[in-house]
This record gives sequence, C-alpha cells and structure tokens, in this order.
Amino acid sequence: MDLNPDAIRQAIRDKVMELARNLGYDASGLQDDDIIPATGLLDSAAILELVVWYEGAYDLSIAQEEINIDNLGSVNAMTGFLLQRKAAGGG
Amino acid sequence: MAKPIYTPRVNNNDDQVQIIGLAVAVGDRVEPGQVLAEVETDKSIAEVESDQEGYVLDILHPLDAHAPVGSVLMWIGETRDEPVPEPVETAPEAAAIATGRPTAKARMLLRRHGLSADRVPASGERLSAADVEAWLARQGTAGAAAARPAATLPAPEVPGEAVPLSAEEQGMVHTVTWHRDQAVAAYLERPYDAAVWEQAAADYARRQGLMLSPLLSLMAYRLVELARERPKINATLVGGQRYQYAPVNLGFTVQAGDTLYLTVVRDAGALDLGGFIDALGQVQRHAMGHKLRPEETQGATLGFSSMARWGVARHIPVLPPHTALMVAHAATGPDGRAILGASYDHRVLSGFDVARLLQDLAKPPAFA
Repeated sequence: MDLNPDAIRQAIRDKVMELARNLGYDASGLQDDDIIPATGLLDSAAILELVVWYEGAYDLSIAQEEINIDNLGSVNAMTGFLLQRKAAGGG
Repeated sequence: MAKPIYTPRVNNNDDQVQIIGLAVAVGDRVEPGQVLAEVETDKSIAEVESDQEGYVLDILHPLDAHAPVGSVLMWIGETRDEPVPEPVETAPEAAAIATGRPTAKARMLLRRHGLSADRVPASGERLSAADVEAWLARQGTAGAAAARPAATLPAPEVPGEAVPLSAEEQGMVHTVTWHRDQAVAAYLERPYDAAVWEQAAADYARRQGLMLSPLLSLMAYRLVELARERPKINATLVGGQRYQYAPVNLGFTVQAGDTLYLTVVRDAGALDLGGFIDALGQVQRHAMGHKLRPEETQGATLGFSSMARWGVARHIPVLPPHTALMVAHAATGPDGRAILGASYDHRVLSGFDVARLLQDLAKPPAFA
C-alpha cells in the first residue's frame, strides 16, 4: 500500500475515471478539489462503489455516517481523510 | 384429457428430488420414451421419460426446484390447448429459513469452503449440496457450484462450445424459470413527473447533510410504507391462497461489476427512514464488495429495481421467486418525464391494485 499523497490522489483519480467510464462519462478533467457528487460523473451507486474500493485498497473501515462531503467529497478530501486515519493508527 | 407425469422416487430414503434438467418446454410435442427431465438426489441421477405421446401442457416444478416424490411434475395432453388441473404449490422459502442436518455431499462442500452448517440455510428438511452451492453463489463465490449436467436438450446443429454457467448465472436461471413457470406475470407502467421526486430527494439530502442522493432509497422506502399499508402487494400464492408475509423484506437490485444481486433489507417496515437508508446503504456496500451475508440475499417479499443509471428508459423486471411485485424505476427523459413500471403476479394482484400503487408511488410524501 503506497501512502504517498500523490500516489493516493492518482489511484483515486484512476478509480473515478474507471467508474465514470462504466457510466459513459469521461472524468479525465476531474480536478482534485472538485466535489465528486456535484460533477455528475458518478451516481450514488458508483460513489458507494468508490468507497468500497477505497476501504479495500487502503485497509480502512468507514462507518455509514462518515460518508460525507467533508471526508470523502473530493480527491483531496479522500486523500486527507486516509492520511489522517493512518496517522492516528486507524484502519 | 391431460395426464400427469409424476416426480419419481430415485432412492428409498429420499422423499424429494431436485430437478436438474428440463428437456422440454410447455407446448413441445413429446413421444413415448422421450426424456422429459432429469432429477437428482445426493446419491444418484435419473431421467424422467414420457409414457405417452402428446404435448406438454404445464411444468409444475422449475429447474433447480426440490420436488416432492409423487407430486405432479408436468401435464401431457393430446392437444396443445387442453385445460390443465390447478397446479400444486409448494410453501414459500421466504416465510422461514430452516437449518437442517447436512447431507454427505453438503458436508463435503462445507468442508471444502471452510463453512459450518449453521451458516447456510436449508431449503428442505436437510441441508443439501444445492443449498450450499446457492449460498456460495449469493456470496459471489464464482465457480463454487460444481458443473451440473446440462439439460438433455439436443445440441444445436451449428458447431459451438458448451460453457458451464457460473453460480450467479445459475441463480438467474432459477429466478427467470420461477417467473416463467410459477407466476402469471404481467406488467404495467405509468408516466410521472420525475422532477418532483428529484426535488424531494435533494431537499432531504440537504436537510440531512447527505453526500449521496437518497432518491432511490426514498422511493424504495415509500414502497415499503405502501406495502405495510396494503399487505396484498407483499404476498405470494400458496396452495390456492394468498400468503401475505408478516415482514416487508425489500429486495433491491445491485449491480456489482458483472454480477447482479438482489439484496434484501429484512423487516424494512420496522425501520424508520434514517434506519432504512443506512440499512440499504450497508447491503449495497456489502454487495459491491461481494460480501453479502446470507440474510441480505434471502427472503425478499417484494422488489425494487432501477436501471436509470444505465440510461434505460423502460424495463420489465423479472419477479423474484415467491414475490408478487417488482417495481421498475427508469431514466428520466429529456422532457422531465419518466416511467414507473411494475411486474406483478396476476394470480395475486390485479391491474387495478398495481395501477393504484404506481399512482401513489409516483408522488413523494413529505419526508421528515
């Protein structure tokens, strides 16, 4: 598991692009601060799929109430949330 | 006059057999000695042959069903359009999940997958290998089911390759076969103003600070509320009577990669809206991780399916076994209108029942 912030951002962007492609959208223009649900590139099910991938890829367990814009709303938010969790020794 | 073909006894100790192959379909002409079906117990496989010539009028046990020995398997008539006596129903699996003593073959499978028998529900008095395979399939354990003998239909004349179905594909065959052979399926739809629902979902998301659109969760919850008010839509037909389920176990389709799951929120009618949204979110996440628990895949008493995310404007869903209603949500058209549809078992529900349901489901209530 690579916890380099740039590597995390790239991995998240790649996953968003893959999920968007499945829905017929091109997410290559996604910026790291874009609010993912607001872009319309991913629907609710795809965002949940992103969360499930994120948990598996980084060995995290995310409670339902933690799925919010502050924690997981953008590539940068997801990166920050992950690093914060790992720094606190959490999974 | 229609004559029955009975489910044979294969072993002295087995009072049930599993239908593992159907070589004919309703309407087919058959000859004496022609193989109609294959049945299996844990010990052996046997063919069921026709003892007469005629036409298949009805098949009462679908592929993969466990049929009582001596029950009518199918009816053969001299002409295609003869009347058929009332079919004999079996009890619904959704009502209760029994856990029985495993058969030898089931024990072997349990050992192979490191499972204990109490984790896997039995469909009959004993836990069979088929029960274990079905359970593994629901967990997304591809390839767990041993390749079963194919139905003894003649191979096509065009050269090709026979590819065994995955466990998930076998499950789908079971579902569509129940829909075809047991339900009297019909479909209704009505257009509605999708913007009203979308606004209600957006308002709710803003008030609750939700990141994900709760649109489908809110619509599914409304369906649960309506089922609680109208037990008839949360029912099936058993032995010529309408069997109204006590809990509302909502079946909700989730596409996870190439696998389509019918996830189940059990006793959804007992949950408040927030609890329901959380519960549905959890089963969706479990499905996407291919980690559904047994109780999250079994016992649906009605269903909700959406293909809106794929841009599908209309779809006619297949009824899950032992349900009478599956609501279909679809993509909104450019004019802001969308179609709300429903497949239903006409033995249980009338067109009026379903039209009224769709009318009520088309308008969101005031969500607190």
